[in-house]
Amino acid sequence: MNLTNAQEGKEYIIRAIETDDEEMDAFLFSLGCYTGEPITVISHLKGGCVVSIKDGRYNIDHQLASAILI
Amino acid sequence: MRIALTGNPNSGKTTMYNALTGRNERIGNWAGVTVEKKESPIKKNFYGGAEELIAVDLPGAYSMSPFTSEESITSGYVKNEHPDAIINIVDATNLSRSLFFTTQLLELGIPMVVALNKSDINEKKGTKIDTEKLSSLLGCPVVATVSTSASGNGLTEVVRTAASLLGQHQQAPYHQGNISLNSKAEVEAADRKRFEFVNGIVAKVETRKVLTREKNTQDKIDDILTNKWLGIPIFAVVMFLVFDISQSTLGPAIADILVGWIEGFQGTVAGMVENSSPLLQALLVDGIIGGVGAVVGFLPLVMVMYFLISLLEDCGYMARVSVVLDPIFKKVGLSGKSVIPFVITTGCAIPGIMACRTIRNDRERKATAMLAPFMPCGAKLPVIALFAGVFFSNASWVGTLMYFAGILLIFLGALLVNKIAGYKNRKSFFIIELPEYKIPSLKRAFLSMCSRGWAYIVKAGTIILLCNTAVQIMQSFNWSFQLVEEGQESTSILASIASPFALLLIPLGFGAWQLAAAAVTGFIAKENVVGTLAVVYGITNFIDVDELVLVHGADQVAAVFGISTVAALAYLMFNLFTPPCFAAIGAMNSEIKDKKWLLGGICLQLGTGYTVAFLVYQIGTLLTTGSVGTGFVPGLIAVAAMVGIVIYLIKKTDASLAAEYALGAAAK
Repeated sequence: MNLTNAQEGKEYIIRAIETDDEEMDAFLFSLGCYTGEPITVISHLKGGCVVSIKDGRYNIDHQLASAILI
Repeated sequence: MRIALTGNPNSGKTTMYNALTGRNERIGNWAGVTVEKKESPIKKNFYGGAEELIAVDLPGAYSMSPFTSEESITSGYVKNEHPDAIINIVDATNLSRSLFFTTQLLELGIPMVVALNKSDINEKKGTKIDTEKLSSLLGCPVVATVSTSASGNGLTEVVRTAASLLGQHQQAPYHQGNISLNSKAEVEAADRKRFEFVNGIVAKVETRKVLTREKNTQDKIDDILTNKWLGIPIFAVVMFLVFDISQSTLGPAIADILVGWIEGFQGTVAGMVENSSPLLQALLVDGIIGGVGAVVGFLPLVMVMYFLISLLEDCGYMARVSVVLDPIFKKVGLSGKSVIPFVITTGCAIPGIMACRTIRNDRERKATAMLAPFMPCGAKLPVIALFAGVFFSNASWVGTLMYFAGILLIFLGALLVNKIAGYKNRKSFFIIELPEYKIPSLKRAFLSMCSRGWAYIVKAGTIILLCNTAVQIMQSFNWSFQLVEEGQESTSILASIASPFALLLIPLGFGAWQLAAAAVTGFIAKENVVGTLAVVYGITNFIDVDELVLVHGADQVAAVFGISTVAALAYLMFNLFTPPCFAAIGAMNSEIKDKKWLLGGICLQLGTGYTVAFLVYQIGTLLTTGSVGTGFVPGLIAVAAMVGIVIYLIKKTDASLAAEYALGAAAK
């Protein structure tokens, strides 16, 4: 499954990031968002969701949320 | 000796830079406010040394490998420009992410101090960081700082420590080792190890009471502000309040007083030069004081707006606005990140256009830079206020309508850009950091208001003053350099230059040479529209129209301009939506970096201004009088020609896209 159907408030481990955009992949990495790392969905919104990665809060859109497999 | 300030976005670099140097650079509570390198000497009271220390503020970055263009400035600077020391500003609330970049910086060999910023927030949350242990694990000094507070902020210690390290070589606690930077797998493996190393440090030095992944009060506020139904109405109300307070209530109230002073000054000067030549009197009293005074009279409105926008930028709401508007902006091929340039443009289009740099997708960035000027900027505000006052009895809906018309034009413009530039439905991800909310600093907002207000005064005293003087002289003389006699105004140099332009404007309802002249000087700086109108019509007080009404009678105020209310609205919109000042076009040029796009952008703005004014005037006249206005047919031909060109361009793009797809299909 991916982040769009994650439960709010539950910590998941990232299994894979499905993107052919290498720069985006590297950018997510520098935020601490890569395979094997924990990620938590704080809330789902209209166009995406709010996630907690390491000690930061980010908003990501549906396209990106569905590329992050957990 | 140069000290580079580096760190993650929104860790507080520019706030510290401002505190150290006494500068007043733009700050805001979101990632990516600083898009340029800035340098200034550090105030002596921080270190008391003889040698000059220069602080270098750099855009935020998450790592040494740049993601957007402004991040590459940072890695490029620390790698190639050899600063003498680095102050690495670390967001103490997000140590686990920040130290990744810190360990990369330590490998450069440049002496470094870690400033553990936002320590106050950690104290509130009960998070403890053992700075001594962190210092020994990293192999560099660590100082806890709070750069937003005026005293006890740790800044002196940071600067002194950095200065004392001069000439030393920094030892790195972690070495990447020799890996092939071309191999993606090797780089990733090395980066994973680096994060493991960082995690090890964090585990040793940090104790947390509150886990970040737990939902907190901030998230509950987010739930409301970014709510599916409430998000957009809340944003609309916030923006309405900003415009209403600055342009209809508080702003004009202060402006009234100021204009009183200006008029008093004008009267005094007029008395002093009473006996000198009429030309000098006219030039000094009507041209310079009258024209510049008319512009300066609007200063309070602009300053109140700057104050309010600064509060908005400081509290953390801007990132949420991006989130709320992203789904809508996506539909027209822009992204939520385009919102920040648009909001900044309400202050001034130049920083607004520069803020486009944080948008990674090339087409989105160019389109945003080209469309941002449709948001009325601070310089256009006097024009709006003038027309709202003179023609619409100070109705506050006029101003708000102009901003929403601007947003609508951005949407339509974005659709048009997609059609012409050939929008391929490619994936463009959206990710934005949500900073913690904070109570905006009134002091910061006040300083920011003053510095931008001062810039407005400087502009009024230089460019606007020059333009008004030129306009006054050109209006006073005819081509044989003789004074224009009363009743013969249309023989003046100004009239004969502006008249051909006025011909073009007849279909828009305002074919008077005076109005054409004001529109043309508006391209130099939009405030000139007000200044020039003041000079050519001999009016200074545009704020307190009541007083004018007493002198001239209610209808005569509008009658001075000689145009209908509908034509006035058309004229206002023409000035708002044609290209902004030359300085903004310069900024567009440096951000877009593509002559074809730039030219397209300017044409789009000219075409939009003309078409909007044409539609407003002709449809408005049809509705109010039952027949179309003057010059309907030539205007229609002009607009039809523009539509024709647009359709031709779209067709051409469609054809080339179709050819591309066909090629792609054939290749498969």
